[in-house]
Amino acid sequence: MGKFSPSTRRTLCNLICLLGAAPSSVVADSQAPPGGAWQSLRPQLYGTRPIGEVGDESMSVSGPASTPDPSATPIVVQFGKELAGKVRQVRVIIDNNPSPLVTTMSLAAGLPVDEIDLRVRIDRFTSVRAIAETDTGRLEMRSIWVNASGGCSAPPAATQGGALGQIRFRPSTDGHAVQISIRHPNNSGFQVNPVSGDFIPPHFIAHIKLSSGGRVLMEADTGISLSENPTLRLVTGEPLPAPLAVEATDLPTQSRFAATWTGAGAAAH
Amino acid sequence: MSVARALLRSLPAWLWLAGAGTAAAGNAPEALPVTEIAPGDFVHYGKPLPLDAPGHDDIANIGFIVGRRCVAVIDTGGSVRVGRALRRAITAHTALPVCYVINTHVHVDHVLGNAAFAAAQVHFVGHALLADALVRSRPFFLANYAADLDAPASAAQIIGPDESVAVGSDRNLDLGERQLTLHAWPKAHTDCDLTVYDVSSGTLWTGDLLFVRRTPTLDGSIIGWLAAIDALAALPHVRHLVAGHGEVTGEPAAAFTPERVYLSTLLQSVRADLAQGKPLQDALKEPSEAGQSHWLLWDSTHPRNVTRAYQELEWE
Repeated sequence: MGKFSPSTRRTLCNLICLLGAAPSSVVADSQAPPGGAWQSLRPQLYGTRPIGEVGDESMSVSGPASTPDPSATPIVVQFGKELAGKVRQVRVIIDNNPSPLVTTMSLAAGLPVDEIDLRVRIDRFTSVRAIAETDTGRLEMRSIWVNASGGCSAPPAATQGGALGQIRFRPSTDGHAVQISIRHPNNSGFQVNPVSGDFIPPHFIAHIKLSSGGRVLMEADTGISLSENPTLRLVTGEPLPAPLAVEATDLPTQSRFAATWTGAGAAAH
Repeated sequence: MSVARALLRSLPAWLWLAGAGTAAAGNAPEALPVTEIAPGDFVHYGKPLPLDAPGHDDIANIGFIVGRRCVAVIDTGGSVRVGRALRRAITAHTALPVCYVINTHVHVDHVLGNAAFAAAQVHFVGHALLADALVRSRPFFLANYAADLDAPASAAQIIGPDESVAVGSDRNLDLGERQLTLHAWPKAHTDCDLTVYDVSSGTLWTGDLLFVRRTPTLDGSIIGWLAAIDALAALPHVRHLVAGHGEVTGEPAAAFTPERVYLSTLLQSVRADLAQGKPLQDALKEPSEAGQSHWLLWDSTHPRNVTRAYQELEWE
């Protein structure tokens, strides 16, 4: 957002909305492309490489056709037998969000990931797409439509609270899945401070690393399309041994948050 | 200069424009139908419509209380038009001036008519957190409900409180031989819920802490809301209840039961989901045992409540 003067930025804010607006160059370059951001992102991210569209049995994206809460919409990416264990990178893109690139996620080689769950902000009627890159460099894409109204400008939920950077682990009983959540406002840079009337600077989780038994399972670059209190869930074909560890970094303060879960039912802080 | 400050500075100019607009329009709205549910307590019952349907500006229960000296308005409806129609209903029943406009919380269907009552002698009263909540909400209201304000729509028309009530310190307003006790609640339906108790008639105006027939919407804390319900249902001397939505018939204390059952069932089922490691998308797919046949607008409201409860309870 560095190339904008404060006044330009505020005008932009008025034109678009509060939640989910992006402090990224994507907004600056394209603002609101008529067909969504994918047309401009595709050459930036993948050049002219061919992108296939596999069937549901290999990969799928799901989410509510009409989201009950645009500030926290669950999106699920699933991989079938053909792709599980062969995906090295996943990107999730919400075409009509001010910051369309939700995350770029690198997965450990050979890790049989069956499912990735995200919780995202959705601004308005949009396609949500996931692009997987396999260990042989093949690209596959799936997408869905999600309807939302007023999500981007919806006032923040009154559910804020807790200590910044507090981390919750929620492993499944069979040990094959873990959800991690980080207490963080994930401010977009376009929300208004009620006391001063000024804009709250962008402040969001930008990087998340998840390890299990000393092995890095996943590293994700993330942005402000993730909901407040960023949450990720990973489901794998093999049990995830303790200790589970999360390291996260936010921007622009570059604060580091870390926590380890050693099992025995207690969530670590 | 911040947007909010700029809006505040433009307030006098807007007030002048609004006055001119009203005079020029010359087609004042008809008085809202009101029911005198207790001597001096007048209620207009809103319609059970969704927030995106025609008539969405008239969905909340709003009304007024008449003392010997002046009138207190409790919520103003979802548009300046509805606010004006309420004002006409007041003048049809009393020649006394309005001295207070009390907003029970920040939601659009309760506050957007405030501008219809803007005048020097009128004080706007709300929860101590209402002003902040309005600052967060004004851009959303302008983006989605501009047509419910006077044209050209402006944030300055969404008038915030000049007097406030803090949690833990009740405030009494005197309308002339009629005392109102205002109580501010910790986070419940929203983070700025306020109830009004008219001591002389025994009438409790709950705002949206009580929904009757319309599915309750959770925008604050499910735990806090259940606590508020217990406290409200146990209040002594309440003879009449005005809910935020729907009409109370029968015993006041019993009126809270369906809402309490709904919210406590939701609380239990989301806690159980979380204990089983069930992700949000699976919690959303679950059929609810909370009895959806009792509730209006269930399909558009309940899933959102599940999402909000899940986000609150996953940090327990």
